[in-house]
Amino acid sequence: MADGIHALQSENEQETSNWRAPLAAGALTAVRGPMLFLGLTFLGIGGLAQQADIGLGPVLLTTVLIWAGPAQVIFIGSIMNGLSLPAIALSISLSSVRLLPMCVSLLPWLRPKKPSLWKSVFLVHQIAVTAWVESIRRLPDMPAEQRLPWFLGFSQTIFAGAFVATVIGYALAVALPKELAAGLLFVTPVYFTLALVRNARDAIDWSALAFGFALTPLARIFLGPGFDLLFIGLVGGTAAWMFKRAVKARAGTSS
Amino acid sequence: MSADIWNWSWWSGGLLPYIAIILFGFLPSEFWRVISIFVASGIDEKSEILEWVRAVSTALLAAVVANIVLAPSGALALAPLWSRIGAMLLGLAVYFALRKSVLAGVFAGVAAIAAAATWFGN
Repeated sequence: MADGIHALQSENEQETSNWRAPLAAGALTAVRGPMLFLGLTFLGIGGLAQQADIGLGPVLLTTVLIWAGPAQVIFIGSIMNGLSLPAIALSISLSSVRLLPMCVSLLPWLRPKKPSLWKSVFLVHQIAVTAWVESIRRLPDMPAEQRLPWFLGFSQTIFAGAFVATVIGYALAVALPKELAAGLLFVTPVYFTLALVRNARDAIDWSALAFGFALTPLARIFLGPGFDLLFIGLVGGTAAWMFKRAVKARAGTSS
Repeated sequence: MSADIWNWSWWSGGLLPYIAIILFGFLPSEFWRVISIFVASGIDEKSEILEWVRAVSTALLAAVVANIVLAPSGALALAPLWSRIGAMLLGLAVYFALRKSVLAGVFAGVAAIAAAATWFGN
């Protein structure tokens, strides 16, 4: 991980000192909340791995390599339930489709001065929901040269927190009182909701948010519980985008 | 009698669990991240398409959240549906009341769920 930072940093050796402030700012943003929220999820993942009788080394490898909470929960949970490995691989892949639009929307803001495929592979690996939801609205407001170090400072900090939390969760693996366990499982939905609300500025953001929330119960009723969330993302996001264009066109003709 | 090669138990011992994680966990997940590099390569920061992809991601994430609230797994199901929706609204109210503090909003929502699971959990 550190090698990746150095490779990205060395491209502007003379500007190294310019990396420090945004790198630290990213790390500070992470420490003020997101690292804690994500850490609670990874405490649970460590504990689940211990119950599933998966070694500490392997579960840490899932944190390092898969680096997406839901996919890791699917992996460990499916092993516990004795599912076959190809079936596990398929459900993990279906769960991680959501990373595609997130990476595509974030990558244009993270272009190194001297791009290379390996730098890009390193960068996209950092992208998961928490990094996306904290970066997607902040990066466009930053001076271009600060975006990459800010993002690396943020993502490496939440990664370090999640890694340590996986170890602690594995070591403790205490059965929490179920009321507390219920509360901890609510951290992810309430945090993502508040972060999405904080990010929302324009009509397109609010309508995408509203469509996503409103279409989900409708899809459950009319399509059943097996529907794909990506479908809602595509329908809701496209509707929000068309709504914004309609609002813009109206404003254009009336002014 | 030998264990099924497509089952996790076949991969126990030595480096085999690590190899199984790379093959059946890492590669199927990372595939989408790597594909995104090629999809994003032609997209400009200011393009309209980028705004559309961001809207799709936002709606998708909202759907992920709504799905957890409507059909939770594990202990969260102890808190009834109305209390999960209520806790979400409380989190939002506290967030706005305390000058858009995400930390305070998350704390309020989590505390409300723990309380609801205590009172209505059985």
